[in-house]
Amino acid sequence: MAQAAIVGSTEQYNYAIIRKFTVMALVWGVLGMSAGIYIAAELAWPFLNFDIPAITFGRLRPVHTTLVIFGFGGSALFATSYYVVQRTCQTRLYSDWMANFTFWGWQIAVGLGALSYMAGYTQAREYAEFEWPIDLLIAVTWVIYLLLFVQTLRRRSQPHIYVANWFYLAFILATAMLHIFNNLAVPVSLFSLKSYSLFAGVQDAMTQWWYGHNAVGFFLTAAFLGMMYYFVPKQAQRPVYSYRLSIVHFWSLSFLYMWVGGHHLHWTALPDWTSTLAATFSIMLLLPSWGGMINGIMTLSGAWEKLRTDPIMLFLITALSFYGMSTFEGPLMSLKSVNALSHYTDWTIGHVHSGALGWVAMVTFGSFYHLIPRLYDTRIYSIRLIYVHFWLATVGILLYITAMWVAGIFQGLMLRSFDEYGNLAYTFVETVAFLHEPYVVRAIGGLFFISGLLVMIYNVIMTVRRASSETAELEARLAAKMARAEGQA
Amino acid sequence: MSETKPKPQGAVQTTGHSWDGDLQEFNNPLPAWWLWGFYATVLFAVIYWVLFPAWPIAGGYTTGVMNTITFVDGSGEERTTHWNTRSLLLKEMQQSESAQRSREYLEKVAATDYQEILSDPEMMDFTRSMAKGLFGDNCAACHGTGGSGVIGLFPNLADDDWLWGGTVEQIETSIRAGRYGFMPEFRNTLNAQQLDDVATYVLSLSGNKVDQTVAARGEKIFQTDTGGCYYCHTESGTGLESQGAANLTDQVWTVADVNGAETLDAQKAEVKQVIRNGVERRMPGWSERLTAAQIKLLTVFVHELGGGQ
Repeated sequence: MAQAAIVGSTEQYNYAIIRKFTVMALVWGVLGMSAGIYIAAELAWPFLNFDIPAITFGRLRPVHTTLVIFGFGGSALFATSYYVVQRTCQTRLYSDWMANFTFWGWQIAVGLGALSYMAGYTQAREYAEFEWPIDLLIAVTWVIYLLLFVQTLRRRSQPHIYVANWFYLAFILATAMLHIFNNLAVPVSLFSLKSYSLFAGVQDAMTQWWYGHNAVGFFLTAAFLGMMYYFVPKQAQRPVYSYRLSIVHFWSLSFLYMWVGGHHLHWTALPDWTSTLAATFSIMLLLPSWGGMINGIMTLSGAWEKLRTDPIMLFLITALSFYGMSTFEGPLMSLKSVNALSHYTDWTIGHVHSGALGWVAMVTFGSFYHLIPRLYDTRIYSIRLIYVHFWLATVGILLYITAMWVAGIFQGLMLRSFDEYGNLAYTFVETVAFLHEPYVVRAIGGLFFISGLLVMIYNVIMTVRRASSETAELEARLAAKMARAEGQA
Repeated sequence: MSETKPKPQGAVQTTGHSWDGDLQEFNNPLPAWWLWGFYATVLFAVIYWVLFPAWPIAGGYTTGVMNTITFVDGSGEERTTHWNTRSLLLKEMQQSESAQRSREYLEKVAATDYQEILSDPEMMDFTRSMAKGLFGDNCAACHGTGGSGVIGLFPNLADDDWLWGGTVEQIETSIRAGRYGFMPEFRNTLNAQQLDDVATYVLSLSGNKVDQTVAARGEKIFQTDTGGCYYCHTESGTGLESQGAANLTDQVWTVADVNGAETLDAQKAEVKQVIRNGVERRMPGWSERLTAAQIKLLTVFVHELGGGQ
C-alpha cells in the first residue's frame, strides 16, 4: 500500500506547489542571510554604509529580518505544511488555484516589502514593517492559506488529524489574528503609503510586542514544531515518543505564549502588573516549550546510532538542542532583574539567533534534505556534502551566539559598573567601542552559516539535475521498449 | 519503508493510529521531572503574583504584599509605597551605596570655589571620575572622546588655545550659555585677487614665508575698511576672546586646515576658502540639561584638558 502511494504520489498530491515554495525558501535564505552579514559587517566597519541611504543599517535590517523570517521561514512553512497535510491526510490539496494564489501573494509581498524598506518606506513596527497595501495583500493571502489548509484537513481520508497539523493550524490561525490586529491603521490618503496606527502610546507598544513575541511563538516556534513532528519521526522511522505529551504541551504552549509579549517592555512606561504577568507566564512557558524538544529527541531513543550514520538526523536533533537551549534562555531573560542587564544589548540578538539559526534554520535544513529527494523522486546527490553543511552551520552558530553573549553581557556589565567615587565607570561610547571585536566574530559566524547554505543549494541543484536525467533516461528506455514492442507486432 | 518494525519501548503501546505509512505515536506518560518542573514554575508564578503588582482588578491592580519601597519624593517627604519600578529607581538613585558616595563628593565640590578644587588632589580625582562620564555623554559627540574636536567644525579643547578664553569663568560661561561664533563671508566683498592678498597676509602673521609684496597688499585690506578684518582679529592679529575671533599669529588653526596642507598654495587655498565662505558655528547652552554642579565639574575637566589659563 505504502509502495503504491509513493509511486503515485506525484499525481496523487500537489507537489508542484511544494517545489516552488522550497526553491523560493532557499532563494530568500541566501538573499536574507547576505543582507544579515552585510549589516553585521556595517556594525563592525561603519564605512560600509558608503553614505548610500538604501544600504544603511536602518534600512537593510528590516530587509534582513523580513527575508529570513517571512521569505525563508515562511516559504519553508508553506512548503512543508502543504507536504505534511497532504501526506498525513492522504488527500490532494483542496484547490490548486488557491495554492498558487498563496505562492504568488506571499512572494510578491516579501519582495515588495524588501524593496520598499530600501526605498525608505516602513511602518516602523518591528517584524511588521510592511506598509498598509502590502499588509492587505498578506491578509488576503493568509485567509486563503487558512481556508485551503482547513478544507484539505476536512477532505482527509484518515480518521485522526496528525499532531503536526495541529501545530500548523495553530500557527496559521494565530498569525492571521496577530497580523490583522497589529496592523490596524488608518492610511493618510488612498495614494499615500503612510498610515497611523489605531493605538497610541504604551498601548501601541504593547500591541506591537504582543504581535512581535507571538510571531516568535507561533510563526517561529509552533509552526516549526509542526515541521519537527512530521520529519523527525519520518527520518528516524520511529514512532513519536508520547502522544499524551504532545497534547499537553500543545495546549499549554498555545495558551501561555499569548501572555508573554510584555517582557519586551520591562522597565518602560508599561504598567508593573503587565510586566509581572509577562515575566511569570514566560517562566511557566519553559516546560511546555521543552515538551516539543523531549518529544523530538526521545523519539530517537533506542536508535541513537542514527546520529552517527545519518546527517539529516544530526541536523534535526541539533536543531532540537538549540531549541531547548534558547527556550531556557528566553524565560531567564524575561525576568525583570536579568532583563535589566540584557535588554538593549546584543545578548538579545544572540538569543534570537540561537533560535533562528539553531532551531528554525537547522530544522528546516534537516527537513528539506528529507523532503527534496522525495519531491523529485530521487536520492540526494551527496551525503558527504550534508555533513559539510552541518559542520559549517554549527560552527557558524556557535561563533555567532558566543560573540553576542560576550558583547551583550559585557556591555550590560560595563553600563552598570561604578568606580570608587560611586560614578559610572564607563561612558556609553566606551561600551560601544568594546563591541568591535565581537561584531567581527559575529560577521565571521554569519559567513560560515551562509557558506553552509550555499553548499546545500549546490547539493540540491545536483539532486534535481540527476532527477531530471533519470526521468529522461527512464522515458527513453520506455520509448525504446514501446518501439520494439510495436516493431514485433 | 513501512516495513521497519518499531522496537518496543518498555511495555508502552502506540495509540494505534498511523499516518502516511509508518507515522505512529507511542503513548508514553508525561515524564515526571517535566510535570513536576511545570508545577514548580506555576508555584513560582503564584508566589511572584503575591509579592508584586500582578493582576488587573476593577479600577486598579493587585499591588503585592510584604514588599514595599521607601523613598523621598519631589517635595522632600518620605513615602512608602508598594513595589513599583519608578519608586525603585528613585530609591536606588537616593540610597544606593554608589549614589550616596557620589552625592557626598558632588555636594562638597559644588560648595567649593574653583581655585580650591583645582588645588585639591582628591576633589580633582572625583571631578575626573564624574566629568569623564558627563563629557562622554554630552560633549564627546562633537568634540570627540579626548576633546580634540574636528578641524573646521568643532574646536579642539585639548590644546592650550582658547577662542572664547580659557579661564574657569570663561569656560563655565561657554558651557552654561553656549557660544555663537560668526565671521561674515567675503565672497561678494572681495575679488579673487584681494582674497589671495589677504590670505597671504594672514599666513605671514604666523611666520610663514610668503611673497612680501603680496602680503603688503593684503595687509592694506586687513587693516582698513576694505576688509575690516582688524575689527575682530585686532590690528596685531591676535584675535578677540569676546567675539571668539581666532588668534592668527600662532600656529593653531581651528577652521582652515593649514597644518594639514602640504604646500603654500594649498595652505592659501584653505585660508581663502574660510574668508570666502565665512564661519558660522554654534554650541548649545547646557544650563537646562545639566545642573550647576555638573557644569562646574565639566568646567574643571575642560580647563584641565587644555592646560587652562
